[in-house]
Amino acid sequence: MSEKVTLSVNGHEVRVAAGANLIDALEAVGIDIPHFCYHPALGADGNCRMCLVEIEDGRPPIVPACKTPAAEGMKVVLESEKIKKIQRDILEMELINHPVDCPVCDQAGECTLQDYYMKFDLGDSRMDVAQVKKDKRLDFGGGVVHDQERCVLCGRCVRFTRQITKTGELGIVNRADQARVAIFPGKPLNNRYALNVVELCPVGAMTSRDFRFKQRVWFLKKTPGVCHGCATGCSITIDHHREKYKDARIYRYRARHNPLINGYFICDDGRLSYHLENENRLETPLVKGVPVTPTEALDAVRTHLGQAKYPLVVVSPDCSLEQLYAAQMFCLEHGAKVSGYSAAAIVAGDGDDYLIKDDKAANRPSLNLLGIDTSREYLREALGHADLVITLNNDPFTDGADADLSEMMKGITTIACATHHCEFFDNADIVLPIASYSEYAGSVINSDGVLQRFGRAVVKNRPVPELLELLHALGGPVADMGAAWAGMRTAVAPLGAVDPDKIGEHGMRLEGL
Amino acid sequence: MSGTEIFITIIRVGFGVFVPLSAVAVMVWMERRGAGFIQDRAGPNRCNVLGFRFGGLLQNIADAIKLLFKEDVIPGHIAHKFYFILAPALVFITALLCFAVIPFADALVLGASTYLMQAMPLELGILWFLAIIGFGVYGIILAGWASHNKYGLLGGLRAAAQVISYEIPMGLALVSLLAVYGTVNLTEVTQFQGRLLFGVIPMWGVVLQPLGFIIFVIAAFAETNRTPFDLAEGESEIVAGFHVEYSSMKFALFFMGEYIAMFVSSALIVTLFFGGYQIPWLNTQTLVAHARPVAVALMLILPAAAYVFARWIGFNNPGPAPNPAQRVRETKVYIAVVWSLVALIEVILLGYIVAGAGGAADRILVVWLQTAVFLLKTFFVCFVYVWVRWTLPRFRYDQLQKLGWEKLLPLALFNIFITGAVVVALG
Amino acid sequence: MAARVKQIKRRGRTFLEQLYLIEVIKGMGVTITHFLRNLRDNRNLYVRDYPEVKPEITSRWRGRHRLTLHPDGTVKCVACFMCQTNCPSECIMIEATERLDGVAEKMPARFTIDLLECIYCGYCVEACPMDAIRMDTGIFSVTGTSREDMVLELEDLLATPGGFAEHEQEDR
Repeated sequence: MSEKVTLSVNGHEVRVAAGANLIDALEAVGIDIPHFCYHPALGADGNCRMCLVEIEDGRPPIVPACKTPAAEGMKVVLESEKIKKIQRDILEMELINHPVDCPVCDQAGECTLQDYYMKFDLGDSRMDVAQVKKDKRLDFGGGVVHDQERCVLCGRCVRFTRQITKTGELGIVNRADQARVAIFPGKPLNNRYALNVVELCPVGAMTSRDFRFKQRVWFLKKTPGVCHGCATGCSITIDHHREKYKDARIYRYRARHNPLINGYFICDDGRLSYHLENENRLETPLVKGVPVTPTEALDAVRTHLGQAKYPLVVVSPDCSLEQLYAAQMFCLEHGAKVSGYSAAAIVAGDGDDYLIKDDKAANRPSLNLLGIDTSREYLREALGHADLVITLNNDPFTDGADADLSEMMKGITTIACATHHCEFFDNADIVLPIASYSEYAGSVINSDGVLQRFGRAVVKNRPVPELLELLHALGGPVADMGAAWAGMRTAVAPLGAVDPDKIGEHGMRLEGL
Repeated sequence: MSGTEIFITIIRVGFGVFVPLSAVAVMVWMERRGAGFIQDRAGPNRCNVLGFRFGGLLQNIADAIKLLFKEDVIPGHIAHKFYFILAPALVFITALLCFAVIPFADALVLGASTYLMQAMPLELGILWFLAIIGFGVYGIILAGWASHNKYGLLGGLRAAAQVISYEIPMGLALVSLLAVYGTVNLTEVTQFQGRLLFGVIPMWGVVLQPLGFIIFVIAAFAETNRTPFDLAEGESEIVAGFHVEYSSMKFALFFMGEYIAMFVSSALIVTLFFGGYQIPWLNTQTLVAHARPVAVALMLILPAAAYVFARWIGFNNPGPAPNPAQRVRETKVYIAVVWSLVALIEVILLGYIVAGAGGAADRILVVWLQTAVFLLKTFFVCFVYVWVRWTLPRFRYDQLQKLGWEKLLPLALFNIFITGAVVVALG
Repeated sequence: MAARVKQIKRRGRTFLEQLYLIEVIKGMGVTITHFLRNLRDNRNLYVRDYPEVKPEITSRWRGRHRLTLHPDGTVKCVACFMCQTNCPSECIMIEATERLDGVAEKMPARFTIDLLECIYCGYCVEACPMDAIRMDTGIFSVTGTSREDMVLELEDLLATPGGFAEHEQEDR
């Protein structure tokens, strides 16, 4: 889309990409055309009529912008009285039977209808007949709750189930003011991307049972992040908030547009994986099951490290690239072996051909990139004569197939640096809590070799250390992110040309993996 | 030293110490209720024991208990704790010492010996006062400096500058006054004021030295750091000035020191300008000579005054209260107490007239009478302090200095020349 | 029309006024009049014997908060968070939940007002779209013996009756 055309909008000349429709083309230069039904992933439908614009060049004077490709010399008028009247009339029509229950509507604050009303209409209702009553709080399945009264019938959700998931559970039934979105009787939404319709819905007709009434959206802080639910590594927005007198927590994940990876959508499992970040978290260091201060725990670890002859470090494929590199350098410093074996994270047959992958680890390509051995044999051999095992958030032995490895672990001193409680971590000799991926900044490489960076989203009231800091405190040579990148750019060939500060919001595809 | 001598010494010292201390309570009460009435409100009138409020006086006892039991904070940043603690003591003690030279009655002649009725029978008189009161400001400066606090320091500096500016007109006003009296001894000064000018007007300082009086009063207000000259405290600009870091009894010492200084100033103004203990037209000799009629007059005046007072209590004490029964009971008790006191004094006076008249008893009666008159006058001047405070706003700092140097100082010098000329002319 | 200029004579510049003393004595005359009048008869003081005689609170007075009910006794509040959003002192803390009694879709599970933080600005009342929170209880003296006493929960807020009848509030 490098070809550019020049057209005039309200009398001002702008240069936009050729071929795109007017909504997309003008949005790229910061001009918004109001619309309900158009969505870049779902294409133009032209049913809402909100995007009507005037074009002064002989063709029919009023056209929908979503169906009109940008062309050279086009004279687009967005703010004529005629267009304004159309916008007001359409909004008035949409609001005829709208319940205007913004106070109880979860969409309030990010509602297109609300925003457009405030921006274009601000008129009072002229209705003097009873409103059409429709059904509210319909359970559509898949965690989606539907309110037919709030619906503006843009059909985005219907098109999503037909075009993207190809399951077609939703349809619009009846006509005129009785038209409503519905499921077929007894056939609820049944696909693993169903919650995307909540996000697609421009109004509050589709709400998520999970997020429903939990928090008002204007309180939420929105930080870009990367989903660690599977090897796809979808771009997400982490919506988090610290309520007064409480700890910071995540309220929801939303899909963040990334043409390299996930487009506009994410799967429901990933969307709900924020629960894992909030719950069951390790907070205090434990030595032999007894809570101790962080300093005491670090001293105990140092003592063990000093005494161990054959230490072994087991890293997790969920750790960030920087953390893995720091762990590798830490092992070099202490003469330890390092293994990245983690079969438990692979759920065979779970993946599909869209976004979900079998491999539930977010950063496995980095292990290969850094040359960390992931084979079972290597770990087994190392375990054979190790006298100290440090696991960095890796619990490789929950799977029944690895019972022999668990057996070998018995009798070896274990130090677990972990984010969450689990049986293996809780039984380790020393447990050190570390930050999870929403609480640190780092980089991950997904299964397609796309390198993404993400920033720190959540700051807890009592933050636990990030793995990089922890390893540095234990004598690791890598002090911070900058040092890690400096080291990696010299040691790892495919990263040599990467400037970590120039990785954009969409990430970059690594060559030479 | 005879028994009488020891007894009278104890009386004198006791008077010199306890009267200013008790006066603090009375003056705080006067200030609060006076301010209240001036501003059309009631002032503290709720504190009571078993429903007895004593017109709000109990509030002072409650405050004293509060101050005693409050946490005594010495902030951690204070480097010189000794000076920090010394400062309030200095303010308090110097104020108290000043009162020691003020005569509260004429010299008592018992047989061959004469007793000066002042706590310290010194010849220094006014010089002692000037020396000691100048010391008091050291306490304030020390407090401001030792507080190690910008507001404290500003308050202390203001106090220092103010005292320098106003001690000069004060001293010069005194010079002309003393030129008239021809003595520094305060007992002699008061005796001088017992005489009559042209046979009708009492020769009070205020009559002889009206300009000196005005200058002295203004300077005395400034010396005691009272409104409109309370810039050292200046709560609206430097929060509380020199005592911003003080709490509990150390604050109470500053507080009491200020009120004692005010009382002493009033006593001095009375002594220098209003005839001290002198009753107009009735000097000591006259009183002693006519002791018996005076006693009879007292026996008549007292019940009359008590009647008016009881009427006043009876009218005002019940007030528009929500529990009138309690207030009425309280009022009855007060009136009963007033009348019993009057009865007691009447009995004593009657006893004196019948049995003890003549000789030493006459003189002692006169001492009592003069002491009462002295206290009455002093408390009236104290009331003027209160009255001025709730009338005038605070000076701006430059106005304060301008007034001291450009107005009062030339006036005082002018006054000295006039007085000198008149004194020389009259021989 | 040109602006009208009124010359005000500057006062306080005459010699007598510059002397101050006369003006001071005039002022003291004013204060002593008040003093003597009140000393003679203390019944005219502008004072209310507060703990015994309660002040008259108008319906516009912003007193302690309450949550109102529908005529049928159900909670009016729909937990829209408008009050919490508008609260400048952040003293309102709400937890919302699904409402199943058919009155509304949403209701507060917890509604906490920390009166120690409240500044009684009344923004919550202004913001409420349901007239669910009001400050018309007429309670002006809010006391407690502990910090916890000063935290109002949903039940306390619902249990407090309004201090005024509807007709008294017409001027609101």
